Amino acid sequence: MNRIITFSRRNQKEILRDPLSYIFCLAFPLVMLGVMTVLNASIPKEAGMTVFRIENLSAGVAVFGQTFVMLFTALTVSKDRAGSFLVRLYATPMESIDFVIGYMLPMLIISLVQTALIYVVSLIISWIVGTALNPLGLLLSLLTLIPSALMFIGFGMLFGTLFSEKSAPGLCSIIISLGSFLGCIWFDADATGGAMLSICKALPFYYCTRSARSAVALHFTTDGWTIPFLIVSACAVVLIIVSSRVFSARMKADLA
Amino acid sequence: MMVETRHLCKKYGSKTAVDDLNLTIAEGELFSLLGVNGAGKTTTIRMLSCLSTPTSGEAFVSGCNCASQAKEVKRIVGISPQDTAVADHLTVLENLTFMADLYGFSKEKTEQKVAQMIADFRMEEVANQRAKSLSGGWKRRLSIAMALISEPKLLFLDEPTLGLDVLARRELWRVIEGLKGMMTIVLTTHYMEEAEHLSDRIAVMISGRIAACGTLAEIKTAAGAKDLESAFVTIAEKEGAI
Ligand SMILES: Nc1ncnc2c1ncn2[C@@H]1O[C@H](COP(=O)(O)OP(=O)(O)OP(=O)(O)O)[C@@H](O)[C@H]1O
Ligand SMILES: [Mg+2]
Repeated sequence: MNRIITFSRRNQKEILRDPLSYIFCLAFPLVMLGVMTVLNASIPKEAGMTVFRIENLSAGVAVFGQTFVMLFTALTVSKDRAGSFLVRLYATPMESIDFVIGYMLPMLIISLVQTALIYVVSLIISWIVGTALNPLGLLLSLLTLIPSALMFIGFGMLFGTLFSEKSAPGLCSIIISLGSFLGCIWFDADATGGAMLSICKALPFYYCTRSARSAVALHFTTDGWTIPFLIVSACAVVLIIVSSRVFSARMKADLA
Repeated sequence: MMVETRHLCKKYGSKTAVDDLNLTIAEGELFSLLGVNGAGKTTTIRMLSCLSTPTSGEAFVSGCNCASQAKEVKRIVGISPQDTAVADHLTVLENLTFMADLYGFSKEKTEQKVAQMIADFRMEEVANQRAKSLSGGWKRRLSIAMALISEPKLLFLDEPTLGLDVLARRELWRVIEGLKGMMTIVLTTHYMEEAEHLSDRIAVMISGRIAACGTLAEIKTAAGAKDLESAFVTIAEKEGAI
């Protein structure tokens, strides 16, 4: 236990002391929140575009932010693997479970703080634009997004373990684009329908945004919240298991 | 015996990195592995510190088998890898504390060990500087101090003075000499004068094999040479490495 905490603290410090983390994980999502709100103001009501309204935008941006937590997880793991820092730790009593939890725990905390900040800013924006959000909805949405955070962290671990410091960020940016597009963060697939909706529904990202949005609206229906939430939770479990297995296998191979 | 290997071999595909290595290193000894690039020094150290599994043969550290008793061995050894391995965004103090915490030291003991390392390595002026911003020499010192903080009985220093200037190298020699007798040290190097200056015993490694092993005087006598460098060249010629 003390090894996990020690390693988590180190990882947290490494990330929080890198200015890039703030730019990507915090500044960028918040800027998007502002820009899209301004954009929304210039969309005529008759267009029926609802995706940029703060009640939909807030949860979308929260999921968008989580994709950058994935990027930083991948970066941290791949950087450690590239140098001999991991080799040094392999020679200490650290075991693979210590590494896996030690990487995931700080990322989960960072992700929760990130979502909380995005929601606080959303709440302020909602007062300004005059469609006040329910703070309880935002809080429940924050909790709803925990499995989603774990899923993205799992993706990050997986890419960071399998790929180099150079290729991992590239692969993450594919997930970031896919996730924000097919996760219906910037457009409304339910309104589009057709093949597009089917593709979105075949991937987990859509369910992240859907369950988080439903929670913001306190709209806890089976279709709107329960099923999407369960799908995301199942994906999170799978990714956590797969990524920790892959990490352990990689560690074993390194020590061969 | 602190270290004992029996017919230790490591093959990577068809390439033999370490070939039938039989070594014994006594407790408290400073033992140098001297060899050119690719001689198998790092591979040997990796096997002895449970970072690599031998293809065949056995290795023992303080009587524990490196393959089957890795947990015990890891408690005994400390390693300073060939490439400096420090956490970039942590300060010197934090790096040292981090390592001590991994071994589960009490708060008092951690503080005391960290203070001791800072003093022993004369790192007071950089103690609160992030590792990222240290010069190569300071990073290397920190990397070695991190290996020492767990109070290892067996310390591996893989090319500790690589890339250091003359003064920094002398300074590090002073530190290593200060450690002599307190623990067993296995050091790799391709600098003759370093092996000459520091070691109790030297093994000359050529293409994965020990070509000569003994005290400085024994190696010089056996090769009929007046210094280690000419002895090394004679041995390498005999082994067909040149
Ligand atoms: N992981 C590996 N895969 C394949 N070959 C390897 C691996 N590690 C080492 N080797 C090979 O084993 C041989 C011995 O390498 P080793 O790193 O032990 O040499 P060294 O004596 O430490 O050299 P140097 O002075 O350059 O550090 C080299 O030929 C090297 O190419
Ligand atoms: Mg080497």
